Amino acid sequence: MFAYIFRRVLATIPVMLLVALFVFSLLYIAPGDPAAIIAGDQATPEDVDRIRASLGLDRPFVVRFGEWLWHVVQGDLGVSIFTNLPVTHMISQRIEPTMSLMVLTLFLSLITAIPMGVLAAWKHGTWVDRLVMATAVFGFSTPVFVVGYLLAYIFALELDWLPVQGFVSISKGLWPCLRNLILPAVALGLVFMALIARITRATMLDVLSQDYIRTARAKGVGERGMLMRHALKNAAVPIVTIVGIGFASLIGGAVVTESVFAIPGLGRLTVDAILRRDYPVIQGVVLLFSFMYVLVNLGVDLLYTLFDPRIRY
Amino acid sequence: MPTVARAADSKVLRFVPQANLANFDPIWTTQYVVRNASLLVWEQLYGVDANLTPKPQMAEGHEVSDDFKTWTFKLRTGLKFHDGTPVLAKDAVASFNRWMFRDTMGAIIRKQLDAVEVIDDRSFRIRMNKPFTKMLFALGKASTPACFIMPERIAQTDPFKQISEYVGSGPMRFARDEWVPGSKAVFVKNDAYVPRDEPASWLAGGRRMYLDRIEWQILPDGATAAAALQNGEVDWVETPLPDLVPLLAKNKNIKVDVADALGNIGSFRMNHLNPPFNDVRVRRAVQMALSQPDYMRAVVGDDESLWSELPSYFTPGTPLYNEAGGEPLKGKRDIAGAKKLLAEAGYNGEKVVLCVATDVAITKNQGDVTADLLKQIGMNVDYQALDWGTVGQRRASKEPIDKGGWNIFHTWHAGADCVNPAPYTALDASGPTAWFGWPKSDEVQGHIAEWYAAPDLAAEKAAAVKINKASMEFVTYLQTGFFKMKQAWRNDVSGIVQAPFPVFWDVKKA
Repeated sequence: MFAYIFRRVLATIPVMLLVALFVFSLLYIAPGDPAAIIAGDQATPEDVDRIRASLGLDRPFVVRFGEWLWHVVQGDLGVSIFTNLPVTHMISQRIEPTMSLMVLTLFLSLITAIPMGVLAAWKHGTWVDRLVMATAVFGFSTPVFVVGYLLAYIFALELDWLPVQGFVSISKGLWPCLRNLILPAVALGLVFMALIARITRATMLDVLSQDYIRTARAKGVGERGMLMRHALKNAAVPIVTIVGIGFASLIGGAVVTESVFAIPGLGRLTVDAILRRDYPVIQGVVLLFSFMYVLVNLGVDLLYTLFDPRIRY
Repeated sequence: MPTVARAADSKVLRFVPQANLANFDPIWTTQYVVRNASLLVWEQLYGVDANLTPKPQMAEGHEVSDDFKTWTFKLRTGLKFHDGTPVLAKDAVASFNRWMFRDTMGAIIRKQLDAVEVIDDRSFRIRMNKPFTKMLFALGKASTPACFIMPERIAQTDPFKQISEYVGSGPMRFARDEWVPGSKAVFVKNDAYVPRDEPASWLAGGRRMYLDRIEWQILPDGATAAAALQNGEVDWVETPLPDLVPLLAKNKNIKVDVADALGNIGSFRMNHLNPPFNDVRVRRAVQMALSQPDYMRAVVGDDESLWSELPSYFTPGTPLYNEAGGEPLKGKRDIAGAKKLLAEAGYNGEKVVLCVATDVAITKNQGDVTADLLKQIGMNVDYQALDWGTVGQRRASKEPIDKGGWNIFHTWHAGADCVNPAPYTALDASGPTAWFGWPKSDEVQGHIAEWYAAPDLAAEKAAAVKINKASMEFVTYLQTGFFKMKQAWRNDVSGIVQAPFPVFWDVKKA
């Protein structure tokens, strides 16, 4: 097992290198000029040229990429063109809000979606099933920002229960932190919830039609025990897979959610950096996201062994 | 809420600025948001008041020779930087030198400069080789980059590189450790600051701070900012979404008012290097067809108190405003006349590249109106939807259209920058060194030179009339109208004034 984990971690190195090359190349050929944005609307073309030169943006691709990669290998993601702050510092400022949001979103999604999916499969064809599926369709088809504005209007402006925006660190207390994250987590989690509920239902339906379930029923196993111990455990592998895949969509959704709820997380950092063409920040964040994604996939692979003893590495 | 907590809260102002404070060097960048934050931390030797008259701020006063060639300044007493060191003449000289390299007025001064000399700790002298009458305005203007005074060690930074220390002498200190670019910037009261005795008026007079802490909260989404204001989570929104202003105005806890009476001028910028706009007849054809009300309704909506037509290059309500030569922008629009003039100019359906920054509402809305206008007069429009970052790069290209060049882009100019030719980069018609589009008119430049040499307001006005007439005939750029934006704040905040920048001194919170 440990050898497998070690091999997988080693395998991330060429993946990260390819990601680095791809991102750097993409930004190099993409239109846009940070020097023009820094200089501002009143600056002359000559000012823009001077700033571009001072930032080293007029140097050849190979030189810039080689220099950046050399620093990355040493753990230095560079310095933001705009803020003059180290990219690692900017990421460290933003990682807690995003991680808090994702953890809460995952938690809320899992504790609601899995029972919903199980229930829908168990009550297949009834109004319960249809209600769960209708909720899932609503979750899929409503954009995050629409849900976000609706939630903010109802629970912040009308009922005054929760704040409209902002983030409070967990170091200042669990409730103040949760208070700010509940609405964004629900907004962000709705799609994820719908996805997991549908997959859980479909997988459970498949498992519930298997012979061993019929056998369990014939042997007099109670419905709860049959659902939770026999059916859900065997349906877990596809559900865990979809949770892992959904992590990527969660990152994408976090970009919008963090903007709507003004959460100072990595999603907003990414958007701001892209709009400003802050290349070192974009490169740093994309590398981080890629690394996180690789780790999540590794975690998913390892979880398979828990749910299915036949899987061995 | 307990009384003590409420009292503490009343000293903290939560402000939503127009944009993210992504860097903090007011010389390195000319972004307005950086200038606005800098006004809290740094000061200028002079500062313009609400009448646009420069008044002493850090300076105690000045002496000028009869020929306007030698300017001597003396710093007022009690000035200290946030690190506790006194503000000295050498700091002012170093800051002046750095500013000169990035400012249009600074560039003119540099060309006529003999020397900048420290006389003693509190005095310095600027010697010019030609009369220069606009020195006080240059030092006190609000347009970017403003001549902020920094410690010498910081001001010696290359003007094209960013400073890394934010030490000023202003009424607030920048809390760098609390700065999260894209989310929050915090300014705390500088207890050692000694304001001038005069009442405050924009950048002039005493900057009395009644707040201990000003928190800039960056809320990129306009709807979220409006909701946060309604919910009492923020105190003051600098530029609420125009669409949401009526909603905010109905809220009994919120006040809404014009942010800046000097407003903004919408701009239709043409590339004078590329056909067809290298022909003045084509520029005039668009001018006679352009309907400013169409643009203004697209930009600020139907509230006609917020916009007006503008047959002038200068800001309405300011001393140099005049409408000389502005007739083509007045009255019924002449589509048929425009088509005829285009035919005379030999326009034959060549592609016109319209670069539209669709991520900025004002430019997007202007771009949509322009696309329709050009089609009406028979032009072949290539509407290119881009983001502002790409437009910023694209407009710097002097290449022809088939090599990635451009014909038109939209922006807007702050009215405060269009009060006279000095801060007005868009008015410059010097050709290769002019602003994007590179218009070249010796006549316009000649009249701008007359304004610089004008010894008094009457002479300045006479020059401004000539500038306006010549610019209208040459069509340096096209004005799409004059418009104002609104600001909104909670009722418990008082002392907010109309200005081209947020003025925090004299602001109180109950």
